[in-house]
This record gives sequence, C-alpha cells and structure tokens, in this order.
Amino acid sequence: MENLQSLLHGFTIAVTVPHLTLMVIGVLLGILVGVLPGLGAPNGVSLLLPLTFGMQPVSAIILLSSMYWGALFGGSVTSILFNIPGEPSSVATTFDGYPMARDGRPTTALATAFGSAAFGALVGVILITFLASWVAQVALAFGPPEYFAVYFLAFASFVGMGGAAPIKTVVALAIGFAIAAIGIDTVSGSVRLTMGIDELVKGVSFVVAVMGLFGIGELLIAVEEEFHARAVSSRVDWKEVFRALGRLPHHGIALLRSAAIGCWMGITPGGPTAASFMSYGIAKRFSRNGARFGSGEAEGIIAPETADHAAGTSALLPMLSLGIPGSATAAVMMGGLMIWGLNPGPMLFVDQKDFVWGLIASMYVGNIVAVVLVLLTVPVFAALMRIPFAVIAPLIVIICVVGAYSVSNSYLDVVLMLGFGVVGYLFKKLHYPLAPLVLAIVIGDKAEDAFRQAMLMSKGSLGIFFANRLVTTLVLAGMALLLLPLVLQIVRLLRKPDEAAHEKVRII
Amino acid sequence: MISRRALEISTAALTGIFGVVVVVSSIDNGIGWSSAGVDAGTFPFLTGVIIVLGSLYNMGQGALGRGALAIVRVAITASELRRLAGLFVPAAIFVAVIPIVGMYLGSTGYVFAVLALPKRQSVLRALVIAVVTPLALYVVFERMFQVSLPHGALATAFGF
Repeated sequence: MENLQSLLHGFTIAVTVPHLTLMVIGVLLGILVGVLPGLGAPNGVSLLLPLTFGMQPVSAIILLSSMYWGALFGGSVTSILFNIPGEPSSVATTFDGYPMARDGRPTTALATAFGSAAFGALVGVILITFLASWVAQVALAFGPPEYFAVYFLAFASFVGMGGAAPIKTVVALAIGFAIAAIGIDTVSGSVRLTMGIDELVKGVSFVVAVMGLFGIGELLIAVEEEFHARAVSSRVDWKEVFRALGRLPHHGIALLRSAAIGCWMGITPGGPTAASFMSYGIAKRFSRNGARFGSGEAEGIIAPETADHAAGTSALLPMLSLGIPGSATAAVMMGGLMIWGLNPGPMLFVDQKDFVWGLIASMYVGNIVAVVLVLLTVPVFAALMRIPFAVIAPLIVIICVVGAYSVSNSYLDVVLMLGFGVVGYLFKKLHYPLAPLVLAIVIGDKAEDAFRQAMLMSKGSLGIFFANRLVTTLVLAGMALLLLPLVLQIVRLLRKPDEAAHEKVRII
Repeated sequence: MISRRALEISTAALTGIFGVVVVVSSIDNGIGWSSAGVDAGTFPFLTGVIIVLGSLYNMGQGALGRGALAIVRVAITASELRRLAGLFVPAAIFVAVIPIVGMYLGSTGYVFAVLALPKRQSVLRALVIAVVTPLALYVVFERMFQVSLPHGALATAFGF
C-alpha cells in the first residue's frame, strides 16, 4: 500500500498543466520521429536532451519519456500502411497489419494496433507500480545462460510455425545468423565476414535489411501483381475507430497472454523485439483463427503490439532500479539522468521519491495522452492509403533510401538496402520465409554472445543450461515449443497425406 | 519470360555462394574451441555450412521441379518483367547517382522522371511533387533533426 500512496503523490506531480503540455509536445514529436524512417526514439531523445538541462528533472524525464511513448506508437504506423517497420519491435506488426490495410481496412488496422498497444503499456506500468522491487531481483538473476535460454525460447516459439518448406526456412534462418555475425565480434573483438570492406566493420544494421526486405521487396511484388489499393472510403470514418476499439475485448485472452509475454520479456532482458515475435508465434499456434494469420487477422495485430508495448514499458524498470539501460533510448535517458544530477540505481527509489513516482505516474498519464493523440491522427494516416500507387511507389523508394542512409550516414548501406530488396522479392516469390531471417538478424548475435559467454563460464560444458531451475525451465519450454509442431506435422502427414499436401498457408 | 525452375535454381545458387563466402571467411577467424572459449569463426562457419547444404538441397528440388510450388511453371511473364524493371531500374539509377548529385537533386530528378515520363500524372503535378519531396526531406532531416543527407560531389564542387 505504500506504493499506492507514493503513486497518488506522483499523480499530483504529473497531472499539472505544464507537465501535461510537455507530454503533448513530447508525444507529438515522438509520433513524428516514429513515423519517419531512419529516425527513432534515440534520435529524438538525444536532440531534446540539451533543451532539458534547465528543467526540473521530473519535467525533463516526463518530456523524454512521452517522446518515447509517441515513437513507440508512431513506429507501428508505417509497418501497417507501407510494410516498412520503423523499428525492430514493429516487424511482427507488418505480418497482419499490412494485409489488413491493403485489404482496404487501414483505419481498423491502426485503431486495433493502437488500442492493444495502449493495453500492453498499461499492464506494463501496473507491473512496475506494484512489483518494482521483485522485478529488480528477477533481472539480477539473469546471467549469460539465462539470456541464451530466453532468446532460444523466442526463436523456438516463432520458428517452425510457418507453412514454408522446412529446408528453405533453415536456409533463411542461417543467412540471418550469418548477417548478424558481420562486423566486430563482441566476445573476442575480432572482425568477422567483412570480406575486406572496411565499412562493414560496423555490421549490417537491422534497419537496412528490413527496409530492403519488406519495403522494396513488397513494392516489387506489388508492381508485378499490378496492385492497386482498394478504394478506401473517402470520408473520415470515426465510427470505425471506435468499432475497432470496441472489438478488442473479444480478444481478451490474446490481450492478456500477449501482455504477460511482453512483461516477462521486458523484465528479463529479452526486450520488445523478441517479445513481439514470440507473442505472434504463440498467438498463431493457440488462436482459433491461427490458420488465417498473415492475411489480416485482428489477433495477429493485437498479439505483437500488446507484447511490444508491455515489454517496452516494463523495460524502463531495470534502468531505474538497477541502472542497466535496456535499450538505446533508455541509455540516452540515463545519460540525461546523470546530467540532471541523479544516480540511477537502487538508491534512486530512496533518495528521489518525487522523481521516481512522478515518472511512474506520468507513464499512466503519458500513455493515455499518447493513445488519444495517436487515435486522432488515424484518419490522417489512413488517408495516405488513398494516394495513387504510381505516386506512392517512388516516395516509398526515397523513404527507404533516406532511412537506410541515415542509420549511420553510409552510402554502402543504401546499396545494401537495394540488394536486400532484390533478395526480399526473390524470397517472397519462391516462398522462403522472411520472418526467421529478420528475427535471426535482430537477435542472432546477442544469442550467440550469450551462448559463448555461458560456454566460457562452464568451460565448454552444456550442463550449464540445466544448472538451475530458472534456466532449465526456459530451455525445456523452448524445446517443447520447437518440437511440438514438428510432432503434430508428422502425425498429420502420416494420417492424411493428401489433405496436408493441399493445405495452403501464407508464408511470412 | 522466366521459368520457375530457372528462378528457383538461381536463387539457390545465390544463397549457396553466400554460404561459401561465409565458410571461407570464417575459417580465417578460427573455428573450434581454444583457450578463449568458442572461437569467433565457429558460429559463422556452422551457419555457412548449413546455408551451403540447404542451398544444394533447394537447388536439387528446384531442378527436379518438386516442392510446394511445382504446379506453377512460369514465374515471371514478359509483361510482369517489364513492370518490375519499370520500378527497379529507375530506383537503381537514383541510388547510383546519389554520390554525384546528392540526395536532394537526385530525389527531385527521380520523382519527376518516374511520374512525368510514363504520363501517369500531369507534368505540372509531377513537378510539384518532385520539388516538394526534397524540400520536405531538407526541413525534417537537416533542420529539425540535424541529420545530414548526402549533398553529392556536385554540390561540393560548387562549394556547398
């Protein structure tokens, strides 16, 4: 109950006119950087940082965290409308969000995404409010073997669920791992797979790969099919926004399950990206409409979005309570904290009660502000779908080029992006799945590092993955998720060979 | 016209070559177990081997015309190929000229060429879009977020 009192006190700090104004400004700027490719929350937060030096620490963190919420919401917009994920954690949103928007229901897709995202964030904040100290302990219990087990679990829940040819899936996955390995190896410090090109030392950014694979690749598929966006009703349909929100409670189980996955992956350092992929994979497996996933199913949007935001929110907790930033944005914010004269870490909760609880209260209010603002913008974004394809296609190309360039001001990235575009087209055309490829690029090197560090700890014995209850449970759950569909597939093939052969599944 | 078989085989060849490159260059990093733990090249080496083996399998399946898509004989028809080239070739030219003319001039030219030349849009409309695009890029990236986009060798030569 002490927490509740502190929270109420926090609300008296957060809900004031100047702070609400700061939230609106922060959220709007955040939506802008989120929608723009190549710019993300880290850019926005770093640019705003100098402005905050004259502010009270509470006001400053409210501005910066509001920007973070805005960016999280904004990142889903381009995923849904153009199949270009602005950040790794919104990749899984493209799988069902884009088909739904393309099908002439962009308003529904956006409203569903924002509604479930808000729910996820809310669950994350509630978790922070009540379990702050417990959560900090869980995060501390995580060493390299546990990290690896979490990544393994994320892979296991996602891979093998698609309908693609198994060997093609394996090839796509292995290529993703190889791409993730390009550049400096963080364990040994040696340079890998650069083929003598110095610019590759920094590695291949995920953004570059995704812009090409999804953005350009999808564009090529679209012109080939002579795709024309179905006429979207020209008037702004506010009712559809509310109808979509009203349908969310029907997916209550999916919402709760995804939020739980998100919170778990946020506290354990799996992060929002792994969370959204894992949530999508599990939703596909357990949903009644699982077979329709990938063709614009509402639950396919709800699952990744809820998990993404639940993880994104609960990931701020390790930053505050342990001083471990969970993401690039959190790292920049932590830099800010130190400049304002605060020391992140366990003592923060004792020394700076006003700051901590003001921030937590502002998470509630800030997310409400963010979801209201972002819902107001839905019709504006949905209207983008009405621009003729002939006009939007070159603009998407420019967006991808600028996005790829601005990741690290490298021209090579632009060329690579175009190359990924061709690969994306070929893979999509020949039913190689893209999702395992992207997942491997994003968390492949982290998983490898964790595995090798664990091997260093155990001097090469695999027994370390069964050394304690936490890690054993994680590994066994991963194996079960990995083997279950395989076993089911074999059983089905043995029983009805004809039916299985004619089954049509969309490859993602 | 490109047959599915040819496409399937060439894609598998592409992934296979990538796999070979990965294997060769990871051997330089050292594979196996040393005093410093698992060597840096081990994982890339294994993934490379998997890519090569998988590609060989896919290539065989493609050549024999087996697999889930076996009924589809033609992958890309002539008119589809024309439309693909219509999108990709201008985009590739745009990317190629960026180091010379920069992002702003490049995008103006690209948008104008793609919109005005096939006569899908009126020249005036194409012109407006072609001018507004780089302006928007400039305001948002260079002014608001201070991300510098390439200005090109031409601009440097004129002293910008």
